[in-house]
Amino acid sequence: MSQSDEGDTVDLAEGIDHQVAMVMDLNKCIGCQTCTIACKTNWTEGGGREYMYWNNVETKPGPGYPKDWEDMGGGWNESGEERTPGELPDEEEYGTPWDFNHEEIMYEGSDEPLRPMSDAASWGPNWEEDEGAGEYPNSYYFYLPRICNHCTHPSCVEACPRSALYKREEDGIVLVDQDRCRGYRYCVEGCPYKKVYYNAMKKTSEKCIFCYPRIEGEGPDGEVRPPSCAADCPPQLRLVGYLDDEEGPIHKLVNEYEVAVRLHPEYRTEPNVYYIPPFAPPQHSERGESLDAERIPRNYLEELFGPKVNEALNTIERERNKVERGEESEVMEMLTTEDTADQYRLEVFDDAEE
Amino acid sequence: MSDQRETHDSTDDGLDLARRDFLKGIGATATVAGSASVLGDDLLGMDGLEVVDDPIGSYPYRDWEDLYREEWDWDSTARSTHSVNCTGSCSWEVFVRNGQVWRESQAGDYPQFDEDSPDPNPRGCQKGACYSDYVNADHRVLHPLRRTGERGEGMWERISWDEALTEIAEEVIDAVQDEEYDAISAFTPIPAMSPVSYCSGSRLTSLLGGVGHSFYDWYSDLPPGQPITWGTQTDNAESADWYHADYIIAWGSNINVTRIPDAKYFLEAAYNGTKRVGVFTDYSQTAIHCDEWIGPDPGSDTALALGMARTIVDAGLYDEAHLKEQTDMPLLVREDTGKFLRASEVPGVDVDVERADHVFVMADAEGELRVAPGSLGARDGQHDETASIELDFDPQLAVDRTVSTADGSVAVRSVWNRLREELSTYTPEFVTEETGVGRETHQEIAREFAEADRGKIIHGKGVNDWYHNDLGNRAIQLLVTLTGHIGRQGTGLDHYVGQEKIWTYEGWSKLNSPVPSRSVPTTLWTYYHCDVLDNADAETTRRVQEAIDNDWMPLYPSEREDGSRPDPRIMFIWRGNYFNQAKGNVAVEEQLWPKLDLVVDVNFRMDSSAMYSDIVLPSASHYEKYDLSMTDMHSYVHPFTPAVEPLGESKTDWQIFRELAAKIQELARERDDVVPVQDRQFDREIDLESVHEDFVRDWESDEEGRLADDREACEFILENSTETNPPDSDAQITFDDIDGTDEDNPERVRAVGDHWTSDLEEGEPYTPWKRYVQEKNPWPTFTGRQQYYIDHDWFLELDEELPTHKRAPTLQDRAEYPLNYNTPHGRWSIHSTWRDNEKMLRLQRGEPVVHLNPDDMDARDIEDGDTVRIYNDLGSVEVQAKQYPSGEPGTARMYFAWERFQFPGRGNFNSLVPLYMKPTQLVQYPEDTGEHLYFRPNYWGPTGVNSDVRVEVEPVDESDGSGGGGDE
Repeated sequence: MSQSDEGDTVDLAEGIDHQVAMVMDLNKCIGCQTCTIACKTNWTEGGGREYMYWNNVETKPGPGYPKDWEDMGGGWNESGEERTPGELPDEEEYGTPWDFNHEEIMYEGSDEPLRPMSDAASWGPNWEEDEGAGEYPNSYYFYLPRICNHCTHPSCVEACPRSALYKREEDGIVLVDQDRCRGYRYCVEGCPYKKVYYNAMKKTSEKCIFCYPRIEGEGPDGEVRPPSCAADCPPQLRLVGYLDDEEGPIHKLVNEYEVAVRLHPEYRTEPNVYYIPPFAPPQHSERGESLDAERIPRNYLEELFGPKVNEALNTIERERNKVERGEESEVMEMLTTEDTADQYRLEVFDDAEE
Repeated sequence: MSDQRETHDSTDDGLDLARRDFLKGIGATATVAGSASVLGDDLLGMDGLEVVDDPIGSYPYRDWEDLYREEWDWDSTARSTHSVNCTGSCSWEVFVRNGQVWRESQAGDYPQFDEDSPDPNPRGCQKGACYSDYVNADHRVLHPLRRTGERGEGMWERISWDEALTEIAEEVIDAVQDEEYDAISAFTPIPAMSPVSYCSGSRLTSLLGGVGHSFYDWYSDLPPGQPITWGTQTDNAESADWYHADYIIAWGSNINVTRIPDAKYFLEAAYNGTKRVGVFTDYSQTAIHCDEWIGPDPGSDTALALGMARTIVDAGLYDEAHLKEQTDMPLLVREDTGKFLRASEVPGVDVDVERADHVFVMADAEGELRVAPGSLGARDGQHDETASIELDFDPQLAVDRTVSTADGSVAVRSVWNRLREELSTYTPEFVTEETGVGRETHQEIAREFAEADRGKIIHGKGVNDWYHNDLGNRAIQLLVTLTGHIGRQGTGLDHYVGQEKIWTYEGWSKLNSPVPSRSVPTTLWTYYHCDVLDNADAETTRRVQEAIDNDWMPLYPSEREDGSRPDPRIMFIWRGNYFNQAKGNVAVEEQLWPKLDLVVDVNFRMDSSAMYSDIVLPSASHYEKYDLSMTDMHSYVHPFTPAVEPLGESKTDWQIFRELAAKIQELARERDDVVPVQDRQFDREIDLESVHEDFVRDWESDEEGRLADDREACEFILENSTETNPPDSDAQITFDDIDGTDEDNPERVRAVGDHWTSDLEEGEPYTPWKRYVQEKNPWPTFTGRQQYYIDHDWFLELDEELPTHKRAPTLQDRAEYPLNYNTPHGRWSIHSTWRDNEKMLRLQRGEPVVHLNPDDMDARDIEDGDTVRIYNDLGSVEVQAKQYPSGEPGTARMYFAWERFQFPGRGNFNSLVPLYMKPTQLVQYPEDTGEHLYFRPNYWGPTGVNSDVRVEVEPVDESDGSGGGGDE
């Protein structure tokens, strides 16, 4: 629990000094997957991690990655005290990382086309890209980037019989102890977001580590860097910092303006990744006129982000109207990338603790 | 909450493992508590696993965390970028570990110069984020290769550099000695992406008397409406300027897919009070982030734009002062001939110039006929900064009268009145009927755009790939002209397709061709040598032939004195994938390719052009060389620097062509039959015995041997360009200043030369056209004004003197081929680069797909994931069907640039696309002197046509094998 001068509190897990957090602005996500690639080249290129996407971006509505993860259970029941049973995704639901026949075609005279060498290329991490739902011209879709939520009430941690998952005291990052883990995969079942992956080569489970070596400044240059997914994002849609940094934009967007909301709050793991919900151009009539009708159904957004999404969208609209009239808006300013160097408040607590 | 109450039946495996493996690295002081432990005391006791009291916040065994810390490690970094035909011009930090490129991340090192815009950093996209894959890829070309099988078969023998260069040099020497130097073609696109690599081959080609190829027109990136109306190839605001607009229409420009590094300015403008309207046939990846989306039927954008123009005019929302001063609207046109009324025809109009027949006429408020300032006849050439279009009288816009001429009384009307008559066709009812866009909606958007303080149109390839692209361009341009949204920050029509311009134009140009050199419009060259003239309709054939005969467009090899014309003989391809990307792919393979005796591809990867070449030379990757990078999306100049040595036997492009020059010189000196050849077109001799010396000489300073390596060539460009070495200033940017070491980061160019249309202002994004709009220099058109009326004979014959909406020509029968075929630029590749990248393919479906509307799929019994055949009368390709509910029914959309070897049977996305071009794009204007429109590579010339193509799609019965009639 963190106490501010005014006596407001920011809910952190008990025993956690500070909590890393991210706000992702879905109105800036263009589905380019630069985050996905940045994460992959940093952490999951080989050694059994090839199929893993610690960071993925999926088109919504859609089954996502792994396929239909939202139907797989996990998380906590209504009381928040008992875990809800979860399923283990199978290989087809992730998709296998295809290998290709470049050499045969380019240098060995094969007349086959360049293709995944496995027969069963029937699913992958972005298989339903751009599909969404609805019918032309009133179809709708948007992109949802996802990493581990580093939850305040993580069901993966609770699920592990060996207590090999834990939440770091200093920043709330949830990790799988690679020495202690034996690959039972209860965490994979238990995570309702399916953000823990089993490494069949290592026989351990692995997951997004919030790039802790980067935020700790552990590279040869000693530089504190934000997680790769955020640093490399072209539209800079991710704010990274600490939820309990009350001067920071994350706290303001989440707790003060309440425009950043949790994905599937009903899973009750209390994620620390928050989303600015998407708006979209209005629907068209049969005669090609723009209508005063929202394109993305509110009930779908409520399904994803819970009832708080309504007030969040209303606030965003109000704030956009303000700037259109030429007035100031702190919310709009926080969502604008004025200076990437200042955007990441990752060293705010360093002085106090050293 | 830390107690772990839940128990599981662990699998046998798990328990066995747990028993076998004693946990390592657990601190000895950990307590064994855990009466409520999951696994019970038994197990814990047995394997000695120490219990964790509270994994939330007090986990005691954290030494293992070094595992991932050790992965965040590298030995060195270098600053580079990517030489692909992309406007991104991004900056990357390349990490090297154990002597190999490990990965790259956004360098984010562009200095911010405009405090009112968002941070320019970072700029890279997902493709750039895995370029390192190509450095070490399976498909990297590591050695010189000579084809052993058929072209395209992928059978090679490894040869030495000396063998390769000798074979090529012999062919080149023979061609020059046969006086067929103009049968040597060199195709490489886009200098801005890496000017030194560009110049490597074209400098040699110039010295050999060979032919440089245009690309911007060929790729259908050139918007012909811009040279037609504005007298300029294209000029665009850098993307930071988007943020200064109050109203943006993204018109066929899928920013969120094709301008990923710039999308931020569009997205964040939403938080700055800007309204963003998207005009796309599909509910595109950019449409989803607009405030309003309208979806005109494919090919109907011109009607929509003219309908919006009509609304603006009818509502009186046009900028009258702008039209009078800056446009041809007040100019008078003869009713009898359709030609502009010339000052020479009107006795009494006071004009004191030599070429009064190139001077135009307006009527002032009193009805007096007056000379229009800025007319071509009253200025010194196309660009004349001493002339002005500023008015000292008030011309009438609406004129309909007679004037007395030397030939008697002639009825005249102003362009404005003619335009109003043209616009009267585009009633709201007609527009809705023709485009499917609602009558209220398109009028409302037109009014809002006109009333905005700063309106901007971002114009893209989606409206440029059409046969009638010139008409579409002119119609959409008309919207910014009518409203005066041009020549100020936050306004204009920005056409972002390809990097047509290079900031350091002068230095590049001097490096590229130290001697007068040949260029050819690639569309015409390809069209001609694919023998399309034999099959085209009679009128097209007549006009193409006339344009060639009139010397409006050059064609090489040139016609010989006896009337014959040799075939092209040798082709060099580098930094591009001509063979894959060619429209009319079937004709290119079947007609053009057999004419070429030798095809040489210089490449780091085995692309389709390399596959269909005779010799492939391995070039350095983008992380293994020095070069420069620029784009018109931003105003920085920044470097490639090598992170590692070129892999295998690869060499930099500069080194390869320099060594080829050396080999040519060496062999020419050895041979007895080699003598200097007089160029038939230019006053120079082609001297093979000095070609290497000429290649490495700095022709500006006459310093011998200076340009031996690529870094020195970078320096030459920087030194010889106004942008990086302004005259009368000590503000020079040298390569050392930007090479990424220490704090030496990209720098904004210092000034701009005269190939730009505005000055560069401190603290403001570059925005074009200020020299005309604000400084009142004449526009470089015939009339000296934004010219919407073109009185060229051909335009008059075809009723295209003003922008007008025409339906697409019928290239394929609509009944037989009911679907539009559209090949837009997708997010997963920059043209064919990255199309074959494993990481990218894993995030798609691993193979080419066609996006279909679900209704079209249902009607053809196609399901998502099925293999389908797309075909028309040109060809047929097999791909996977993907359902795309946001695609308009009636369109088969295949994001382009899949390589030939990604299709069964080696078809191609371009196998379905004919070679076609519009004859009006071959003209010279004025017909006799051509100051306004004349061939200049990538500036004015015929564009390729991609979008007026129709296809049908059918499921492929996969049990049916290759279609050979199996019955099981």
